[in-house]
This record gives sequence, C-alpha cells and structure tokens, in this order.
Amino acid sequence: MLTLPCPNCGAPVTFRSPALPNRVCGHCRSMLVRSDGGVGIVGIEAALPFDVSPIQLGTRGRFDRRAFEVIGRVRWSWDDGSWNEWLCLFEGGVHGWLGEAMGDFMMTFERPLADAGSAELDRIARGSPAIPGRKVELDGEELTIADAREVACIAAEGELPFTALPDWRIYSVDLKAASGRAASLQREGDEAWFYDGRYVKLAELAPTGLRAIEGWQMPRYG
Amino acid sequence: MAEAAAPQPAAKAVSCPNCGGTVTLRAAGYSVTVACEYCASILDVSQPEVQLVTRYNERATRLAIPLGTRGTLDGTEWEVVGWMARDDSGYAWQEFLLFNPYHGYRWLIEQRGGWSLGEQLTRTPEGAWGGLKVDGERYTPFFADGTARVTDVVGEFYWRVKRGDSVRTDDWVRPGAMLSREADDHEVSWSRSRYLSTPAVAGAFGVPAHTKAWPPLPHQPSPALPFVKAGIVIALLAVAALILGAVVMGGGRTLWQGSVTIASDGRDQQAIVGPIELTRPWQRVRVVADVPALSNGWVDLGYTLVDRKNQASFTASKAAERYSGRDSDGDWTEGDRSATADFATLPAGTYDLVVDYKGNNWIDPSRPPSNFWDLNANEPAPDWRRSGAFAPQIDLRVVSRGGAGGGVFFLMLVLLLIPLGIGLLIHAHFESARRAESDFAAQGDDD
Amino acid sequence: MRTPIFLYGLWCLGIVGLFMVASNYAWSPFADGRAGPRGTGGGGVIFVGGPNHK
Repeated sequence: MLTLPCPNCGAPVTFRSPALPNRVCGHCRSMLVRSDGGVGIVGIEAALPFDVSPIQLGTRGRFDRRAFEVIGRVRWSWDDGSWNEWLCLFEGGVHGWLGEAMGDFMMTFERPLADAGSAELDRIARGSPAIPGRKVELDGEELTIADAREVACIAAEGELPFTALPDWRIYSVDLKAASGRAASLQREGDEAWFYDGRYVKLAELAPTGLRAIEGWQMPRYG
Repeated sequence: MAEAAAPQPAAKAVSCPNCGGTVTLRAAGYSVTVACEYCASILDVSQPEVQLVTRYNERATRLAIPLGTRGTLDGTEWEVVGWMARDDSGYAWQEFLLFNPYHGYRWLIEQRGGWSLGEQLTRTPEGAWGGLKVDGERYTPFFADGTARVTDVVGEFYWRVKRGDSVRTDDWVRPGAMLSREADDHEVSWSRSRYLSTPAVAGAFGVPAHTKAWPPLPHQPSPALPFVKAGIVIALLAVAALILGAVVMGGGRTLWQGSVTIASDGRDQQAIVGPIELTRPWQRVRVVADVPALSNGWVDLGYTLVDRKNQASFTASKAAERYSGRDSDGDWTEGDRSATADFATLPAGTYDLVVDYKGNNWIDPSRPPSNFWDLNANEPAPDWRRSGAFAPQIDLRVVSRGGAGGGVFFLMLVLLLIPLGIGLLIHAHFESARRAESDFAAQGDDD
Repeated sequence: MRTPIFLYGLWCLGIVGLFMVASNYAWSPFADGRAGPRGTGGGGVIFVGGPNHK
C-alpha cells in the first residue's frame, strides 16, 4: 500500500499493489503510473459516460468462495455499443475482471497463452483474423468464437494493471463454451493477452456495496 | 468514491434530433439504439452525441404496456424499456424488453393473448435424444428454419435494431418453456422463455386478464395435465381399494344342491327344498337350475325364498329354454338349458326355497303338416318331457355370495374412471391443437 | 388445478365408500329377486316360450 499526492492536483492517491501500477486520480482524472522512480502522469482520462451499472468501485463480493473488491474499471466500446470491465482484487493479490455487457456478467482471469496450448489461439495472437463460429479446443473443452472486433477504450477509473487511455484500440476476440465458460483474447500489435473464466449471475457473487440507483430496490445478497 | 452515498439517477433524458421529443433512456450505458416513441425515428445513443439513424414521421404506436411501466414478476420488479413487433410469415408476436439495473434484461413476449418471460442464455444447450437439454430439462423440436422479422420497434435496445431486421430461428419446447435459437450472419444466441399465466401478467402490467390463447402457445402446459397425472394416481388407489373390498367381502359357497323331476304332462309343479342357512348378516344368493334333457321346450321357474322364522319372502322368476331346428341356412340352436336367478340383500336366517316349475314343449309351427305321402305322418311331434328312459330332471344349486358382485364392481369402476377420461380427452384435445402448429407435427412426443 | 384434483379425490372416495356400503349389504341392482310374496294366481308377467329364430 502506497499513498502519495497526485503529481497533477495534489489529491492523495493510493496504490495497493505493485502488480497494479496504474491509477486514475479520482479528483483530476490524471492517469498515473507508479515506477521505481516515483509516480508519473501519462495522460488524462475521459469522464465516464452516464450509465446505470449496479457495480461501483468498492463493491465487494465472492467468487468461488474467494472474496474480492472492485477497485478499477475500464469502459470499452465497439461499433455496436459499449461495456464495462471491472477490476476485482482478490484476497492474496490475484486480480480478475468482471465483464458487464448487455446485463450479463462474466468473471475472467488472465492466463498465459502458452499454457492454454491452443494452436488456433496462437495463430490469432500472431495476427490471424478470428472467424466467428470457428471452434477452439481449450483444456479438452470446445469453445466457439462468438465475436471478433476492434474495440476502443472510452474511459477508466480506479486502479489498473495497464494504461487505458481514451482511443486505445485493440483487437478483441470472445469465446464461449456450452458450459457457460467464457474466454477472450486481446491483441495489440505483436502482444496478446488471454483471459479465461465463465459467466456469472450477480446473485451468485453475493455482492455488497452495490450502487444505489434511484427508484430501484437494491437486492440484498448473503 | 466517497460521494457514492447519493443514489445514482436511474434515467437520462435525451431529445430526439428529428421531432425534438424528450426520450427517456432507462438503461443508459447498455442502450445502443432508441426508437423515438413519438415519431418512430431510430436514434443511435451509443455515443455521447445522439445521432439520427433513420428518420420516420409517424404517429406514436399505442403499446399494450406503455414504455416506463413497471411490474413485478416472481418477486423481481421490471420496467418496460423497449418494444418490438415481430413476424414470421404471418405468425406475429410482440416482445417487450424489460430491464432492472440489478437483474439485467428479460423479454416479455405476447402471442395470441398468451405470455412468456424470455431470458438470454449464457450457455449453449446440449443435444439430447433428438432434442436439446438445458439445466437437466429436455426440449423437443417444434419450429425449424423460421425467419423472424422486426416489423415495428419503439424504445431502447442494447443492440442496433431496425425494422426489417431478420434472424433465422429454430425453437424447441417442453411444457412450460421454449428454447429459441436465433442466428444472423455472425452471431448465434440462445434464449429460454417460460410460459406465464395471463392473470400474473395482468396483475403485474395491467394487460387484459381474460384472454385465452387458442390454439395454445407451443410451450403452453396442458391445463388438464396436472389433473390427469394426479388423477391416475388417485384412480389407481381407488381401484385398488375396490379390488381389496371385493376380495375381502366376496367369496361364496354352495348351500344346497339337488334335483327335482319334471312331469311328462307339463302340469304346474312345486318343490320345497332346504333348509338353506344364510349365515352372513347380508348376502346375495344365486339359484342355478340346469335341465340337461331340455330340447325344443322351456321350463318356467318361480323361486320363493321363505325365512322360516318370520315368513319373509323373496321371489324371482326365470325360464330355461332351448330350441333347435333346420332352415335354409342349416342347423340352428337357441337358448340355454340352464337359468340363473340372483337374489341380493338377503338377511341371515334359515330359509326354504319353494320352486314352482312347469315343463313346456314347443311345436315348430313351420313344420310341414302331416299328409298322406309322408312316411312319418302318423308319428307324433317329439316331446323332450317323455322321450328319455327316465323323467327329465332339474338340477338345482343354491350358492351364497358375499359383496355386491361383479356388476356393481364394474359400475363403480366406470363411475371412477369417467372424470379421469374427461380429463384425458381435454388433455388430448389441447395437445393436438398445440402440436398442430409444429413443423414436427407428425412426431410429437407425449410428455 | 388443485380444486379439480381435490374434487376428484372426493368423488373417488365417495365411489369407494358407496361400493363398500353396497358390498356390506350385498346390494346389487342387477339381482332378479325382489322382496315380498309371489303374486297369486299367476299375477305378473306370463312367460311364453318359443325361439326368436326367424
């Protein structure tokens, strides 16, 4: 845990983990990066557009019996809409992403591509286009490429493992299995990241500290 | 976010770039497209700046459930945020998009006055026995290779929607639920809709309560099925009780057995046989008379059972008759040499059986009259009463029987099964009407 | 749906009860005998024999 004044506005900013070097100043929206040399400003984050997501920074929940807290968010857009990726910090420092799109949620964790051992995914990571509908075998399970599009960052807040500034564009491939497993591969230039997890219902996360939304009864879980 | 204490506003207002009307965004952040509720223009709300996609200048569509209406289904409150009219070559239905920020989206689907609640699936159904399986529930094919087209649209949606959009559809059903696959050129999505009772939807969203979908919706559960299922169990129990009762109360034994002789002149005769001891509080008694020698004649039988103690009497009349002859079709016989008389509800006691009887001979009137060239002309017509070496006998057997007997048992069985049969008929009628619409109508499955 | 099932249960109970009562009194509507003395002088139906054969 490291608390410093924001180099831009002086408001106190906290870095919880060396694994999460990025932070958006809650006061002036500067994108800060922590390094051995201190904290620097790499850009200005955009304001998050109005939405009625039930999640907010500080929401806590449990996934597979492990407690987490939501500490960051990136809002992405594509041709036909936008969605949220909420960064969840688990006990023990592991982090996962709670994706929220079209009212559905999925929890995924980063995983080395080499470990996934899929020739098709390796080809996509090296620059081949992903073809929706094509099957990909992963850990003996058959996944289908559901979607493959160019996506762009709209805005971000809180702590993050990378610098996500507006108009950052990546190639994103979504995969789904019959079982409810969900995975995605994100590619930028020569680099690729792979995330693996599954769809979840909000109720099964037993979340507390959800965002209060005017006129709606907030469900009580756990 | 220390300032998070104040609740987030639920909606955002934007103005329609075409008509200037104020359009409420109830699912901001999710919604991509809005069809203006005033002029029907399609707006793009995915960007901060609202953009006009397609301009329409139409009068507002009157929706069965206006946008913004809230209703509670199964304990969860939903708000109507969008509406689509869809059509598959004349088969039309409407879908209301429901939203709750904590529970996401659902579809409230109406067709022919019947309602369903649909939900997008995050899993893909597995194939099973020529059908599909989700959550351990099996679905059978119902519609195949359909094309669902959007004919009208109002409100906000989380994808780009416009009139004329079409997807390929296939549907599977089980009682109470339908599984739908919708596919366009680059996406396949699965949804499951559950049948809702019209009163439940009427209570939640104020739609008319007394509409009845006919023919039934593909996944509408047969209203008679629960009755039939429970009724079969009830009927089995009742039949078992009947059988048990019949066995326990039934059973019989022979009380008296003997013979009386029939006079050759056919006069009225009487025989008193007994004693006949009736030991149960109440019983049935059967008197079986058998006349082995009977041929072309009949025996009148009058029985009177008289209680020795109080002279209470019970009577029955019967006849044993047996005829035979020959005509253009060949030999024929008719009648029965034995006659059975049943008494019911006889109280216990010592009885005498008075048998009044009379042997009769029948002369075939069609028999050619005697004439001179007939060699047998002078031979008298045969008479069974005197043709044998000995006088013919009536063999009598008196049997006591418990219970109400097979006739009553059968009557009760029929009465028991009539309501179940009516239930089965209603069920079959409903199911055949439901299946008639299926693309797989010939191979319906009986679930 | 509960009401018709309940009513059917009641109906079956009634039928079984009726059958038990009928069994107990050895009652049957299909019997030939009736209580009371025989009509005197051949009162009632006179049986005339003969085949129905045509």
